[in-house]
Amino acid sequence: MGLLSILIFVPLLFGLTILLLPKKYSQSYKYFTVAVAVIQLAITAYLYCQFQTGAAFTGVNQLDSYQFKEYLPWIRLDIGKFGALQIDYLLGVDGFSIPLLFLSALVMLIAALSSWEIKENHKGYFSLMMLLNTAIMGVFCALDIFLFYVFYELMLLPLYFLIGIWGGVRREYAAIKFFLYTLLGSVFMLLVIAGLYFSVIDPLTGNHTFNMVHMMNPQNYVPDGIFSFLAHQDILGIPARLLGFIVVFIAFAIKVPIVPFHTWLPDAHVEAPTPISIILAGVLLKVGGYGIIRIAYSIFPDVALNLSFYIGLLGVISILYGAMVALAQTDLKRLIAYSSVSHMGFVLLGLASLTSEGISGAMMQMISHGFLSVMLFFIVGVVYNRVHDRYIYNFRGLATHMPIYTGFVMIAFFASLGLPGFSAFIAEAFSLIGAFNSESVNGLIPRWMAILGSFGILLGAAYLLWTLQRMFFGQLRVKEENWLIKLKDLNVREILTLVPLAFFAILLGVIPSLVFNIINTSVNQFILLFT
Amino acid sequence: MSTLIVISILAIVVLYLGLFKAKQALLPISVLGLVAALALAIMEWNSNAAPIFSGMMHFDNFAVAFSSICIITTILVFLLSKNYFEKISDNVAEYYTLILFALSGIIVMVSYHNLSMLFVGLEIMSVSLYILAGIKRKDFASNEAALKYFLMGAFSTGFLLFGIALIYGASKSFDLAVIAQYVIDRPTGIDPIFYVGLVLMIVGLCFKVGAAPFHFWTPDVYEGAPTLITAFMSTVVKIAGFAAFLRLFSICFAPLQDFWMPTLLVITILTLFVGNITALYQTNFKRMLAFSSISHAGYMLFAIVALGAASTNAIFIYAAAYAVSSITAFAVLMLVKAKTGSENFEDFNGLAKSNPFLAFALTVAMLSFAGIPLTAGFIGKFFVFNAALAQYHTWLVAIAVVNAIIGVFYYFKVIVAMYFKDNQTKQIATPAYFNFVLGVSLIITLVLGIYPSFITNLF
Amino acid sequence: MENITSTIQAVPLNHYILLSAIIFTIGVIGVLVRRNAIIIFMSVELMLNAVNLLLAAFSSYSGDASGQVFVFFIMALAAAEVAVGLAIIVMVYRNTSSIDINILNRLKW
Repeated sequence: MGLLSILIFVPLLFGLTILLLPKKYSQSYKYFTVAVAVIQLAITAYLYCQFQTGAAFTGVNQLDSYQFKEYLPWIRLDIGKFGALQIDYLLGVDGFSIPLLFLSALVMLIAALSSWEIKENHKGYFSLMMLLNTAIMGVFCALDIFLFYVFYELMLLPLYFLIGIWGGVRREYAAIKFFLYTLLGSVFMLLVIAGLYFSVIDPLTGNHTFNMVHMMNPQNYVPDGIFSFLAHQDILGIPARLLGFIVVFIAFAIKVPIVPFHTWLPDAHVEAPTPISIILAGVLLKVGGYGIIRIAYSIFPDVALNLSFYIGLLGVISILYGAMVALAQTDLKRLIAYSSVSHMGFVLLGLASLTSEGISGAMMQMISHGFLSVMLFFIVGVVYNRVHDRYIYNFRGLATHMPIYTGFVMIAFFASLGLPGFSAFIAEAFSLIGAFNSESVNGLIPRWMAILGSFGILLGAAYLLWTLQRMFFGQLRVKEENWLIKLKDLNVREILTLVPLAFFAILLGVIPSLVFNIINTSVNQFILLFT
Repeated sequence: MSTLIVISILAIVVLYLGLFKAKQALLPISVLGLVAALALAIMEWNSNAAPIFSGMMHFDNFAVAFSSICIITTILVFLLSKNYFEKISDNVAEYYTLILFALSGIIVMVSYHNLSMLFVGLEIMSVSLYILAGIKRKDFASNEAALKYFLMGAFSTGFLLFGIALIYGASKSFDLAVIAQYVIDRPTGIDPIFYVGLVLMIVGLCFKVGAAPFHFWTPDVYEGAPTLITAFMSTVVKIAGFAAFLRLFSICFAPLQDFWMPTLLVITILTLFVGNITALYQTNFKRMLAFSSISHAGYMLFAIVALGAASTNAIFIYAAAYAVSSITAFAVLMLVKAKTGSENFEDFNGLAKSNPFLAFALTVAMLSFAGIPLTAGFIGKFFVFNAALAQYHTWLVAIAVVNAIIGVFYYFKVIVAMYFKDNQTKQIATPAYFNFVLGVSLIITLVLGIYPSFITNLF
Repeated sequence: MENITSTIQAVPLNHYILLSAIIFTIGVIGVLVRRNAIIIFMSVELMLNAVNLLLAAFSSYSGDASGQVFVFFIMALAAAEVAVGLAIIVMVYRNTSSIDINILNRLKW
């Protein structure tokens, strides 16, 4: 059993332990969760340090160059003229997945630390969170598309219950909306997966396979397969590969989320308890981005190349629309939810440029947004836990009342709006540089998209600074008198949670090569898919 | 073949036990007998059996597999019956006997090799079920269910028989092998009455499995009959119906796919939509299960529409997943009904707090119905869809997927009620038998969902 | 036996098929339009007997006895069905004092 399997199944094991432990130990569950997250963080940090780069470790469409690979046959079925169905338990990481693994482990730790606010039914809560943890790690490690799908779907259920049971007032609505949106995307993706399976054979065994790395190499497609590069088959009058790409892209775009598939996000965030918001923003949105890179783009590079303009356009629309809607929000959590939409737009824009800078920027943006959105949601949680209110106009002049808190808020806000020295600056700058250069390098997306994208940064500065001014500056005034007593400054646990996040946001802003070095070989290999 | 004999004799033995007032022995003896029958069935696996009784029956792997799953499900139903029948009437032995007779008819239905045996098996099963559906003599709903079931059953048998007669007229035989040969020998120029007969048989069989537009009796009968009998009807009987359907089509009519495929295609799509959309509007859990069973019939029809090498496997896996989930659902329903007296969704409110295990088992069953990964239902749906995609029925699969999403809505209603709604109810006492059945179903559902290789390679 | 077969064959096969189809259709229509449970039941029997006639005719035309054996099966099982069916109807009658199937509408969607 390799490290990746341990990474995936440790939380499951602890989750089962929690289920079996008697109720009287319910206070210890949160320490279990934290312990699991620490173990995972240690493993991912170890993997990150051991991760090798260079020509032999490119990953992407080279199965041999994935690292920490694990392989077990899982499901075999003889299906007559189509040979045997081959589904494997195949894990491995490359430059795209390893930083996200580390990010996930860190986010899970933060989420565990912020679960102190959960008051009821600890057993259910923590075991579901462990299940979610397993699914998240699995998604980033799986190289078999069926396995990927199973983990992907497995993320839904715990989230559904976590939002539905421990959420806010309209939790039922938010939970089922979230569930159906994602399910709607993913079941159609399952059909594309099945179609891909019928089109691709494993070059070694000759069986049809669900191995997604094999799906990235055109020579593995059977000549008359539905998704074959050469056959140009049609489904319902639309070229099959185009349709396949669109279905998969939409499935992940819902997750990212990209305008116009984003409407579940504000509801889910507003209703979810703080730790779940943190996981949603910190990891789940990245699963969408990761899926677009790993599956939509890598398996359908020809279509992605042709649709670059539209994908870039969607990115720009997300950036601007998200930012403008965020400007209009009066609920702090909703504002941050929309800012996520805006920030994730940069991922799409960078990706659409298909330049080395753009894709590195997109990856960086996912990681940076991972740290920053977690920080932002945690900050919202701090206020909400104390007074159960998030309405921006109910607070004013908190800077004098909660100085440490305000300090962290300023770090988070300034980092998010892309101030140089923070990770978001590097990420957004690289995405925009990529988008700007694209016209001269490969002519995929026009320059005005980059220019419009940079307006998004301006708008971001506007809503964040305005919020800062509304809530933290000026005369101290809150809605009710007793809030002043309730609104205590941060305690040690909260400071300990926020410090590493701020640290990473600054660290990656100052030494971005920590990430760039790791992802570079894979990014370059990825770009080769499109030539 | 000894399976059939054992079950028939067992039924008579149980009847006599009732005569001699040995009520305590009924359940153990029935279950033990069924376990023996199951063992005998499994022993015939891969024995390359030839048709027996002058070509009347053929106990091949197909028959063994489907008999086994029917017997196992019946055992589970029996285990749930502890103390259930006693509440309805004093003559408990008759229940066991009738269920066992129905089961012996089912064994005939899944192993026939001659159309006359199909008819005989079907009738043995149906006649027993007519009685079982109406077994609550004073209960009007049960009366109504029995009469409806009886009239519709007899009516559909008429269609089936007319179809058989016409096919006999064309092919001059009831033997499946001869009919298959008749079809193969005539790539063109099959007697038109053969086609008419085929259509009538489709109508008759669709009645029996409850496919739209011949489904209207199903919800009424399922709702009216005693819950345990409904559990039996919606699992064992339905699976047997599909096994008979599949056996007939894969042996005899496979070459005529171009003729019957469009008809079945329309029936399948209709079944899916009717089942799912009407299920959405139900407030009664039992009735919702009835409609959902119609939609599951639609998914299983899929594998027949896309008849091919993978069909048997797909239906088998789907049937297994469906059976265990249904048993769980009905078991929990029986407990909840015994507690609250009604079967609506609200009665499940707060179950997660009072009985976490019941709620968890029911949740897994519902997820399996809805086809969420890592449950058996997902694997079943996946194989069924795969079988259809292999034949390029892309449209059909897309429609099915839309239906699967509709299904999530109503399956989640009960989950929402259990977990998100509060109700100050006391804990429901669950007898050990129930816990055993629920545990077994739960384990089967999860194991098949996580490592389906156990049964995927049977055929 | 010889002359029965030849007597049967004196009428063309198509006529038998047509006749049974007509009887069968009458049975089907009876089931669909009549509201009295007993009459519906009789219509079902009519359908079954149409099948019996057809099987006998086919059997004699093809010189194959199995069709006639099948007729016996149908008769035997139809008798069993009648026993159970009438019992059910009696049971319904006892509870409702009516055998009109229109009263069977308690269960509806």
